Amino acid sequence: MTFIARDRRRFLRELGVGAAALPFLAGLRSVHGDEKTNLSLPKRLIVVFSPNGTLPSEFWPQHFGDEHQLVLGSMLESLRPFSDQMLMLKGVNNLIRGDGDGHMRGMSCLLTATELNPGNIQGGSDSPAGWASGISIDQEIKNFFQSRDESRTRFGSLEFGVAVPNRADPWTRMCYAGDDQPVAPIDDPQQMFEKPYGDAKSRQQLASVLDLVHDDLRRVSTKLSSEDRSLIEQHMQHVRQLELDIEAAANQEELTHPEPEIDPHIELVNDNTPEISRMQIDLLVSALANDMARVASLQFMRSVGQARMRWLEIKEGHHSLSHEPDKNADAQAKLKRINSWFAGEIAYLAQRLADTPEPGGLGGNMLDNTQIVWVNELGKGNSHTLNNIPMLLIGGGAGFKTGRALDFDGVPHNRLWLALANGLGHQELTTFGKAEHCADGPLSLV
Amino acid sequence: MGSRLKTIPQGTPALRPVLQLTPRQFSLSQSSCVLPLLILLLVASRAEANAGAKIYQQLCASCHGMSGEGVQDRYDGPLFGDESLAELTELIAETMPKDHADLCVGDEASAVASYIFEEFYSYDARIRKGLVSRPRVELSRLTVAQFRNSVADLVAHFTAVPRDRRPPGFVPRSRRGADTRRDGGLFGTYFQSELMNKRDRLALMRLDSRIDFDFDDGSPDREIDPEAFSITWYGSIDVRQTGYYDFRITSPNGIRLYLNTDSHNPRGRLRDDDSVTMRSRLIDGWVSSGEQRTLSGRVFLLGGRSYPLRLEYFKYQDPTASILLEWKPPHGVWSTMDKQSLRSKPAPRTFVVDTPFPPDDHSLGYERGSAVSTEWQTAIGNAALATADEIISRLPNLTDVERDSEQAADAYGKFANKLASLAFRRPLTDQERQLFGEQLFQDASPELAVRRAVLLILTSPHFLYTDLTPAEQPPTQHTIAARLAFVLWDSLPDKKLREAADSGQLESADQIAEQAQRMVKDPRTRAKLRSFFEHWLELEHRDLAKDQQLYPEFDEAVIADLRTSLELFVERVVWGKSSDYRELLQADYLLLSKRLQQLYGQGKAKRHKDDRSDHPFERVSYTKQSRSGILTHPYLLSAFAYHNNTSPIHRGVFLTRNIVGRSLKPPPVAVAFENSDFSPELTMREKVTQLTRDQACKSCHDVINPLGFALENYDAVGRWRSEENDKPIDSTTDYTSAEGTTVTISSPRDIAAFAVESSAAQRAFVRQIFQHLAKQDPSGYGAETVDQLRDVFVADEFHIRKLLAHVASRVATHSLTEE
Repeated sequence: MTFIARDRRRFLRELGVGAAALPFLAGLRSVHGDEKTNLSLPKRLIVVFSPNGTLPSEFWPQHFGDEHQLVLGSMLESLRPFSDQMLMLKGVNNLIRGDGDGHMRGMSCLLTATELNPGNIQGGSDSPAGWASGISIDQEIKNFFQSRDESRTRFGSLEFGVAVPNRADPWTRMCYAGDDQPVAPIDDPQQMFEKPYGDAKSRQQLASVLDLVHDDLRRVSTKLSSEDRSLIEQHMQHVRQLELDIEAAANQEELTHPEPEIDPHIELVNDNTPEISRMQIDLLVSALANDMARVASLQFMRSVGQARMRWLEIKEGHHSLSHEPDKNADAQAKLKRINSWFAGEIAYLAQRLADTPEPGGLGGNMLDNTQIVWVNELGKGNSHTLNNIPMLLIGGGAGFKTGRALDFDGVPHNRLWLALANGLGHQELTTFGKAEHCADGPLSLV
Repeated sequence: MGSRLKTIPQGTPALRPVLQLTPRQFSLSQSSCVLPLLILLLVASRAEANAGAKIYQQLCASCHGMSGEGVQDRYDGPLFGDESLAELTELIAETMPKDHADLCVGDEASAVASYIFEEFYSYDARIRKGLVSRPRVELSRLTVAQFRNSVADLVAHFTAVPRDRRPPGFVPRSRRGADTRRDGGLFGTYFQSELMNKRDRLALMRLDSRIDFDFDDGSPDREIDPEAFSITWYGSIDVRQTGYYDFRITSPNGIRLYLNTDSHNPRGRLRDDDSVTMRSRLIDGWVSSGEQRTLSGRVFLLGGRSYPLRLEYFKYQDPTASILLEWKPPHGVWSTMDKQSLRSKPAPRTFVVDTPFPPDDHSLGYERGSAVSTEWQTAIGNAALATADEIISRLPNLTDVERDSEQAADAYGKFANKLASLAFRRPLTDQERQLFGEQLFQDASPELAVRRAVLLILTSPHFLYTDLTPAEQPPTQHTIAARLAFVLWDSLPDKKLREAADSGQLESADQIAEQAQRMVKDPRTRAKLRSFFEHWLELEHRDLAKDQQLYPEFDEAVIADLRTSLELFVERVVWGKSSDYRELLQADYLLLSKRLQQLYGQGKAKRHKDDRSDHPFERVSYTKQSRSGILTHPYLLSAFAYHNNTSPIHRGVFLTRNIVGRSLKPPPVAVAFENSDFSPELTMREKVTQLTRDQACKSCHDVINPLGFALENYDAVGRWRSEENDKPIDSTTDYTSAEGTTVTISSPRDIAAFAVESSAAQRAFVRQIFQHLAKQDPSGYGAETVDQLRDVFVADEFHIRKLLAHVASRVATHSLTEE
């Protein structure tokens, strides 16, 4: 049996698309870097979310302002290699009020910067609420990219999740295509893999059994009358044809950037979160490298997420820990480990981008042209404040001046999203979300 | 001979062979009159044959070719047909040679007719000369329906029936066990909610026959606080037709609809902050802003099966509470789901392959698996991949063994073996058992091995070909089981059939017939027969839209009701006690909804007492002269009509082909009916008579028009009318049968009376049923197959269900004994 691979990994590699793509990929524009007609540098956006507030004492640097070099504390140690490309923004507040508890508004108003619709979902406090009433900034920018030939891609945006529970409510959704239109993140790496590469993989899987089918057909045909045999002979020809088609497609074109190896059978359970996170980041980088999208989001868990990070030797749920008072040193230490882990995942993402040369021989690396924005639905867990959201930006996509921390001392976060959109080329956007919060225009970050 | 000829209508036009059956139909349907003629021929002198040949070369060959093959620009096509020798003789005497008909009459015409008939015209002659191949049972791949049904049943074999949540005695049982007619609705469980906990306290359980509630600002029960409550409905839906089903829910509150999913909610609780255990929600509207909205979802389902449904609903502080569940079946319109389709009994998930397929060959009038193509091969591959995904994602469910269990390799190996054996409809060979059970598992994870096994099994010829028994070899008992299952269900043998075959209980004709009779009762037979009627009554791709000025009431809802009415009528007849084919043609009633009664219930309608009064379609009887089964069902009368008037031609063609069982060639010249070409005072009958009076048209329209004219009492939407353009309707005509007898008909009842007595019509019906069930030409099973089955059918008082069982037995036992 020649088709049986020696081990699972190798088998996956063989059944995966290899380093090859199928015609459906090749036929699409913007898949291959070298097919670009417009040689200007692409701009990209990646929004990363982690829940339940940060540990402010560990997160914020000691000094703010242009005159100070950015020095990261030990919780963010893994991000230190990127401090020159980093911009930390304090004093950016989510001022959206109205229906919904702090977590709901923290989550669903974070990227939309507008109020929640009235609704039937009851939080831990406050009035019940529904979905956000407007589009989120990532989708707004995606729509802008998709509206222009030079920045249009196959998917426009891809929404990744890690350990997002399988339900749809204002605590689990931050991306919105519009009023009342939440966009679900995909937290299954296999499903994410299928999206851009699945068709190719499936066909190759099929190709691997066709040899046997062909043999079987031949055996069967010997027992049949000559008239019936002609049908089987035709069938054999079509099996061969299918094999040839698949082979030809595989040889036709190569992806700019090889797709990552994904264990298709990883279980979506809490304890596999670190593995799943890396798979999702690999998939994200590869999708951007192959220019299947220019906007992506990566959502860790959800607001009020109770992930039990046993891989950090923490048994308690994240949300419960975040409620502990500041004087609980054990909880503080654990929250530091948790946020440190998130920082490490973002550092991995940034590193993968920095290690990937900008496709199409345009010079530089992908991080130079990609704006990572790390967000959280709260400023601080135990106070449920929506002020001082820990905003940490990495990379060069929006053209902001980096290597510094700024304290705006209480501005609506609507203005940050305006600056982000403008920086990514969406210049016509003059208000976003709740218009009254946009009166003073975009934050000045250049 | 001379006296026979007198019954042939006068004025036989040129090009008479226009009216003909297909070659294969000919040899059987005409054999009763051909045989005596052949005997006559044998005694005819050899001299006559030589004379015939000579005359043919002199007078005919210049247009028809030396051997009837045709001559370009003269008579292009080969010369063959289904006229009897007598008819052919008459035709030649009257019309041939073209423009010089007097050159060949009397004995000469007779001699040349015999020559033509024997050399290349008749079906037997064509077989003898190798112009058509001798009928045989052809190797066939699975049709699309067979593939989909087989895969559904293959996966279903491993799917457990979910736990019944209903309390004992929830649905009253009749003496014969569960009575589905009483189980018309969903099992509703009503809870008081408390903040996030939607199921704080169970307050009420009941059977809801429709999910159409407007609680406004109140509550479903006085035990329940109107501010915060939830309802979960459980059950299943019965689906009759294969196709896309749309569902929609209108509600200002929180809703989730699960359709055809594995059901498990082990904790039974429902909280806002729970993760939902089941992934695929057809409709998810859990979050709402209290404003009325409609959410919809679409799913592809196979007919003749039940699918699990669960609907979760909650209200929390919204100003109002209401919910409406509607669906749109294929060919239907949006309507509230009701007791016709809702059941409280649980059903397991049925996997449905919904990847696209190229359509099956339909060129002989029935779908069959006669051809393969790269597109088909690709479709099979995609369907196999989809099935592999389904099986892998549910593997622990299907095998009861977890993926990472130590027993996985062993258990999944057994699973793969069982899957292959079910799909191949037989025990595996040692080599196959080794391949699927062990070899595939040697170097791969158990899960991956199963994936490869599924791909291999579903693309294997042992699965894809219905019957690989070499010609002339007797079938094994497993093959017999498979033949029965394909003929009646388009699917794989069930447990009982497999067990019968395993234990040698499918040996005798009686044992086989007994299984066939049992199988006819299965819903899958209903689904298959239903698709036969769709085909026979030409229901596919019909546009019934009418001129809204003339027929303002005839809207989409009426059309959808009419289709349901026709389907219910056919089902009532076929699945009723007597299952009588004659009732299909002669019933004096219609099944009408309220909406239809307003349009068709005029005058002579009266409700029948024995009908359950709460059924949305009631039996409405008419006096003898005005309705006659499917011939006058308003759906068909409307389908075979113009948008603003009747069409005797369309109706006549339908009756000719499908009811009296004659074949028609395509029209020699394309003539469109333009109403404006005619004087407005003319009746439709007069217009059609004018339109088709040309010689080229007449030969077919002499048959078509009388049948169509007899239906002129029904307008373009099938309502009774007694006059047109202030002229009384003239529906009386003379109709000449294929056998040559002429009868006077003046109403559809006359046509029906003629058809039920006509052996040609009976044979045509039997033949079409046979083709649809077996996906083969009946003559492959012996030239006398249709005649034998027709005899049995007549002896059985035209019992359709018995006919199905006979057809199944006939196919199953093919080559079993020396016949």
